[in-house]
Amino acid sequence: MSAKGNRKITTIHFGELEITPELIYVFPEGLLGFEGMNEFVLVSEEETEPFKWLISLDEPNIGFPLLNPWFINIKYNPGKKFNADKEVIFSVVTLGNGSSDMTANLKAPIILDIDERKGRQIILPSDKYSPNYIISPNKEKTS
Amino acid sequence: MLVLSRKIGEVITVGNSVKVTVLSFDRGIVRLGIEAPKSIPVHRKEVHDKIVEMNQMASKTEFQTLKTALNSSSVQFNVNNSGELEAPTLNKKKKIEEK
Repeated sequence: MSAKGNRKITTIHFGELEITPELIYVFPEGLLGFEGMNEFVLVSEEETEPFKWLISLDEPNIGFPLLNPWFINIKYNPGKKFNADKEVIFSVVTLGNGSSDMTANLKAPIILDIDERKGRQIILPSDKYSPNYIISPNKEKTS
Repeated sequence: MLVLSRKIGEVITVGNSVKVTVLSFDRGIVRLGIEAPKSIPVHRKEVHDKIVEMNQMASKTEFQTLKTALNSSSVQFNVNNSGELEAPTLNKKKKIEEK
């Protein structure tokens, strides 16, 4: 039985999920290339820790694997646009079709405001952060 | 597309809050100065397009693909001792770097 206000979504990633309203992050601007999607939830699944999944409520088959950028680069500095007191920050991870390198987008992190339940994707001005920083080279390709 | 000719130092306004100044022109390279409110992100188009491309690739990731990649990969994470997922605060991070 679902409580009032809860929403059920069916995802290809995790099957059926029941979403309570307080779990939803609103992205007023969407994500770059996904401007029409404004509501997301952050999903953890033990088997893919320490990755998180950002799942779209508008299109539940859309899911972005996320990783804490400090796991990749301990000196990562997103600058003043990020408020560490009330926000968390993630890099979007790309695996391609499974036969390419695993990369993280350090250039355009996703920032979630925990208190206000808002999310946004920003582009850092610094040239030292790559949008496709290789975190794990593909073994088949390199061997 | 609106086409305007401008000399060096001249300005184009976009709406009430954006100003684009032609700073210099040298050997085929135009340098522009852009003043815009923080709420309007300004980026080179190729940077924007690359991020759209990476987002689109990421969005197609399947749970099983990531799981398999994790099991077989050599990814080394800088996970802290307690295995915390929340980002460390920048203050804490600075302290680490100072040591």
